[in-house]
Amino acid sequence: MRIPSILKPVFKPAFAAVLTLTLASGAFAAGEHGGGHGAGGHGGGHHGASAAIGEPGKASDVSRTVTVTMTDNRYEPERITVKKGETVRFVVNNKGEFVHEFNIGTAAMHKGHRKEMMMMVEHGVLEVDKINHAKMKMDMGGGKTMEHNDPNSVLLEPKKSAEIIWKFDTDASLEFACNVPGHYETGMVGKITIQ
Amino acid sequence: MEMFGHRRVSLCAGFALVAGLASFAASAIAEAATYNLTVDRVKIDTGDFVKEGIGYNGASPGPVLRFKEGEEVTINVTNNLDEATSIHWHGLILPFQQDGVPTISFDGIEPGETFTYKFPIVQAGTYWYHSHSGFQEPDGAYGAIVIEPKAREPFRYDRDYVVQLADKHRHSGHRIMRNLKMMPDYYNRMQRTADEFFKDLSDKGLGATLSDRGDWGDMRMMPTDIEDVQGFTPLINGKGPKHNWTGIFKKGERVRLRFINSSAMAYFDIRIPGLKMTVVNADGNNVWPVPVDELRIAVAETYDVIVQPTEDRAYTIFAESVGRSAFARGTLAPREGMSGDIPEMRKRPLLTMADMGMAHEGMDHGAMSGMDHSKMPDMNKGAMKGMDHGAMPGMDHSKMPDMNKAAMPGMDHGSMAGMDHSAHGGMATKKADPFYADGSGLLPAAANGGKFLSYKDLKAQKPLYKHRPATREIELRLTGNMERYIWSVNGVKYGDAEPIRLKYGERVRFKFINETMMTHPMHLHGMWSILDTGAKKWNPIKHVVSVSPGTTVYMETEVDAPGQWAFHCHLSYHAAAGMFRKVIVEGGPQTASLPATKEVGQ
Repeated sequence: MRIPSILKPVFKPAFAAVLTLTLASGAFAAGEHGGGHGAGGHGGGHHGASAAIGEPGKASDVSRTVTVTMTDNRYEPERITVKKGETVRFVVNNKGEFVHEFNIGTAAMHKGHRKEMMMMVEHGVLEVDKINHAKMKMDMGGGKTMEHNDPNSVLLEPKKSAEIIWKFDTDASLEFACNVPGHYETGMVGKITIQ
Repeated sequence: MEMFGHRRVSLCAGFALVAGLASFAASAIAEAATYNLTVDRVKIDTGDFVKEGIGYNGASPGPVLRFKEGEEVTINVTNNLDEATSIHWHGLILPFQQDGVPTISFDGIEPGETFTYKFPIVQAGTYWYHSHSGFQEPDGAYGAIVIEPKAREPFRYDRDYVVQLADKHRHSGHRIMRNLKMMPDYYNRMQRTADEFFKDLSDKGLGATLSDRGDWGDMRMMPTDIEDVQGFTPLINGKGPKHNWTGIFKKGERVRLRFINSSAMAYFDIRIPGLKMTVVNADGNNVWPVPVDELRIAVAETYDVIVQPTEDRAYTIFAESVGRSAFARGTLAPREGMSGDIPEMRKRPLLTMADMGMAHEGMDHGAMSGMDHSKMPDMNKGAMKGMDHGAMPGMDHSKMPDMNKAAMPGMDHGSMAGMDHSAHGGMATKKADPFYADGSGLLPAAANGGKFLSYKDLKAQKPLYKHRPATREIELRLTGNMERYIWSVNGVKYGDAEPIRLKYGERVRFKFINETMMTHPMHLHGMWSILDTGAKKWNPIKHVVSVSPGTTVYMETEVDAPGQWAFHCHLSYHAAAGMFRKVIVEGGPQTASLPATKEVGQ
């Protein structure tokens, strides 16, 4: 399981929007960070929005495992149906030749996150087929970094795998998406139906 | 198209193809396919005028040729004209004898003759074909090529349309060339008027006005010399704005549009108001997808974009010529017969002294790997303090005169949100596109204030070659004398020039220095043009490199194709006026079979 790396910096980082996760139910990746999270603030109702996508689940609550294969630029499967309140383990494999993300969120959250991913590209953190982890950790000012370690997403280089355990305690309209620049637009998005 | 005898003809209904068929194409069967094309006199109806022209299988444009990567194609071309013809497969990598350039690849196709082309398809993507004889291409002899990849496309779409642009003129190519030779501004109807002269007099005073006019006169150029052939009707897939070519979609579907600029002379700025276009392929090669609001397509380039219309309404595909003398218009709509709003054309740009080359000393575009902040006056430098400047080798802080460096350490390290990264991209496009001269009048800006595609956004998704230093550099100055309508390379027109000799196996770095005031789309046949955007191994792989006035642009070529090839400006009348070279690749396999073709001066 990916344990959210909580309690990291003191200031709320722009990319690693995780520290408030357990403290205040968190702003997950795909939030509108570019739109102005000040330290502590969640930018107009964002608090509620992120709570509404569900929350990191416990391994002991997992009812089933869904394997997601990422290729260029698609998911298999492209639709996932869950029961409300269900905790699902996602095993995500990147079998493509490029870096891909698996990120659970609303369409609006993904839109916000795409701006951040674009920034990662502009800063050389993200290349076509690799992630420059050292650059991710560089200080963007005020202790902020471009680390990508939110509990609702994984960003994977080719041939890498990771897991997410997510509890769908929500009625939100959710998508799983890759926000690497241009990937969402060219088809790398799937639908989560909550029953 | 009905005469287009081939097993896949049924898929060519109109220009549409439901993408499922394309993207799930069975894996590589090295099969052979045979195509038959006739070269015919045809009528071309632009909606503004009807004109005799040249086409294929009875129509202009000709049929979309749909090849499969890995197959070997046989194409029988029958010349029904009363003059010689040829077909060049633009952007295709093939044996030079199949490249279709009379006097360089072969002797051409005589009237009544059927010539059989045969070559393997070793690539995928969007390309086109056209006559390389006389002015048959501006007269209508062009069509599109779509090659399905062996592997699945790295993107998903529901529909697939070719959107092929052309600048159809009332006059035949021969007549246009004659008129240009006689009077180079014959078709430039947007010259500065006496009114403007008197307005400048009152704004700038007599001295400045006369001095400005004198500089332009010395260059034999005018600020309006952006399109030297105006008076055309832009076409999309053969249809003028009034005929409104339409591509159908269901809302929510992703639509792949394959833009091809088959114009003789006109560049276009393309946008679809209400839709973001994600560029996925340039000149046939996939690029790292770039979402943009607008893009400029040089003559002979291709760009594939994916759009996703989410509303049940008509969207206008709007392509203004860069000189704003005309626009192409088509529609994406849920049903036939719909039309969206047609925007007003924007104001025509005027060339500046920068485009005249007055401001380009010392510029080194190829080496500009990062950013030049001198060109970013709007940047909120106060918000930059957190950036790792060490990671940006190309940044030049020496040119930031108004930057208060002392203030930086103490600055509020507040939210990253203070740094507007969307403006970051936009700013670079508006203020610092290294592919335009600093202060150029041609610098594009998106109509909606959003993102305009730049060459520097293009990154190869799969580099075809290992990145390595060039083994030598060849300087090509793009030169001309507008007054006599002579266009040349290094001051020498084609008929008087020695061929450029390359050695098989070398990697040549071409340095284009544009000393003219016009933009030249340079096209090397037979080998890829790796455009130096500063992205090193991710530099995009193209077949046309557009060189703006007052700029120096580098491209590199892995010399891997023996034989002899054409290398020229793709503006039809510039190529014909002498901005053209023969390239001979010496060494390597197959060199014994160089044909003994006759030399022709142009």
